[in-house]
Amino acid sequence: MNFLTYLKHVRIGRVCSYIGLLGAVLVSLFPVYWTLSTSIKTRVSTFSIPPQFFDFTPTFKNYVQLFSSSDFLYVLSNTILITFFSTLLCVIVSTLAAYALARTKRFPSRVSLEVSLLLVRAVPTIVLMVPLFQIVSVLNLYDNRAAMIILYAAVNLPFAVWLMTSFVEQIPVELEECASVDGASGFQILSKIIFPLAVPGMAATMIFVALLAWNEFLIPVLLAGETAKTLPVYISGFISARNLDWGPMAAASSLAIVPIAFFTVLIQRRLVSGLSSGAVKG
Amino acid sequence: MIFVEGQSLERRAQSLATGLVLPTWSFLLLVFALPLLMAVYLSVRNEQIGGFIPAVFIGIENFRSELSSPIFWEAFRTTFIIMSFGLVLQVPIGLGLALALYQQLWGTRFFRSALLIPMLLTPVAVGLMWRFMFDTDLGVVNWLLESTGFSAKNWLGMRWPAIWAVALVDSWQSIPFVMLMCIAGLAGLPSGPLEAARIDGASAWQSFRHVVLPMLRPVLLVTLMIRVIDAFKLFDLIFIMTNRGGPGTATQTLGMLTYNTGFTFLAISRSAALGLSLVIISLPIYFLWRKASGGRR
Repeated sequence: MNFLTYLKHVRIGRVCSYIGLLGAVLVSLFPVYWTLSTSIKTRVSTFSIPPQFFDFTPTFKNYVQLFSSSDFLYVLSNTILITFFSTLLCVIVSTLAAYALARTKRFPSRVSLEVSLLLVRAVPTIVLMVPLFQIVSVLNLYDNRAAMIILYAAVNLPFAVWLMTSFVEQIPVELEECASVDGASGFQILSKIIFPLAVPGMAATMIFVALLAWNEFLIPVLLAGETAKTLPVYISGFISARNLDWGPMAAASSLAIVPIAFFTVLIQRRLVSGLSSGAVKG
Repeated sequence: MIFVEGQSLERRAQSLATGLVLPTWSFLLLVFALPLLMAVYLSVRNEQIGGFIPAVFIGIENFRSELSSPIFWEAFRTTFIIMSFGLVLQVPIGLGLALALYQQLWGTRFFRSALLIPMLLTPVAVGLMWRFMFDTDLGVVNWLLESTGFSAKNWLGMRWPAIWAVALVDSWQSIPFVMLMCIAGLAGLPSGPLEAARIDGASAWQSFRHVVLPMLRPVLLVTLMIRVIDAFKLFDLIFIMTNRGGPGTATQTLGMLTYNTGFTFLAISRSAALGLSLVIISLPIYFLWRKASGGRR
């Protein structure tokens, strides 16, 4: 018997809850639906007033136009490449740090690391951009994909460490103690016990970091030109045209957001447990 | 002997941990510490890309001129207005939705999935889509307003409507996060106090107001801190929706001002000073956050 039973008890509460939830779902999903439907509309249907919500003839012209430009295919493969490798790098580095933070109560740089990780999360990326632009230019790494991978991994690292730490903390410490008693080395414990048990958490962190990398805009828009261009920068490029070309823009946006919607639903359970246990405890 | 053994184990764990955090440290130093130090260096000089005057040390002149400039204070106000509009929307709605889901009504899993979707969508795509929806002549928002008897607005072309639009879209994306935090908070509540309230004959509202809400306070505080920090970071949506802070400077937040100063006007020293001011302004929130989360991490 708890609070939810009270709410359930009152019929008005239940009815209000349903109305609220349905309204919220409508508002949440309508823009997504609108993007998808605009992407398969003709120019005339896109601009019709009153808006055509369902009664339009679908066309895949926008997608054909998008995929027939080699430009778009290059940007898409670039985005996948940068997202993949930066995520891999970020998750490996963060898992190592997370293990240290979750298991070793005292080590020389622990406190300063914790403080730095939190401080860094409070620093808006824009503050770093002018100096980063200079560093990247001096090193001759402007518009370089490897530089993008490192920068992406770095900006997502504090968050990944935080999330991974909460996942490692959920692995019972007794397992390691047993292994330790049985004479396993630190490395063996890490590779044979922690790693396999951390896989679900790592997968969730990976998906999360990959989504953030996929969405990253500030770094590529300022530090990349044509070679290392990514999807969000490509999409934002539709603005500079004199007339906003809504059809192809909606098609490109759909391709950006549909995988995200899918993965969000896929990892929602982990999202709730990981984000909250990390956030609530600190 | 056992004592020595234990000590060496402890030391072994320490050196392992030190090695494990080494990669993280190198990323932090290279991508955060170094640029911040460079920003400090830039901020006390008068560097301007394409400038004719050779750059020299000018001390805190950049900070002084920014703090006395009306543009800075306008951006400061805009940042806080967008932040407050957002928080007023996000916290009650997020909490309300969490309470609705908490009852485990029929269809809860569907509702939760659907409601979480906006959270991680590409901000650039989201900004563009809402820009289309807020379009004065062709947008679905104005169509809805007009067909329900309200008057159409020039959403992104006027100061207040533009600020509202940005705050609304930011809220649309962040309400799921607030909801998620509240769900977790509610799930962690002990049932004892609620049962006591029930036995004492408290109504649903009373038990929410006097039992649930006080117990949720720590979670709400942390959520609030994170949202405030995110509000300082808000960039992509404004960049896309109002063309980098327009109309004019109506939605130019501190972050956007830092961007425009550095990358549009190429005054990199002034931009660095602005960026550091932004960090200094958000620093107290960092300490509050640390405090709210019990000083752990």
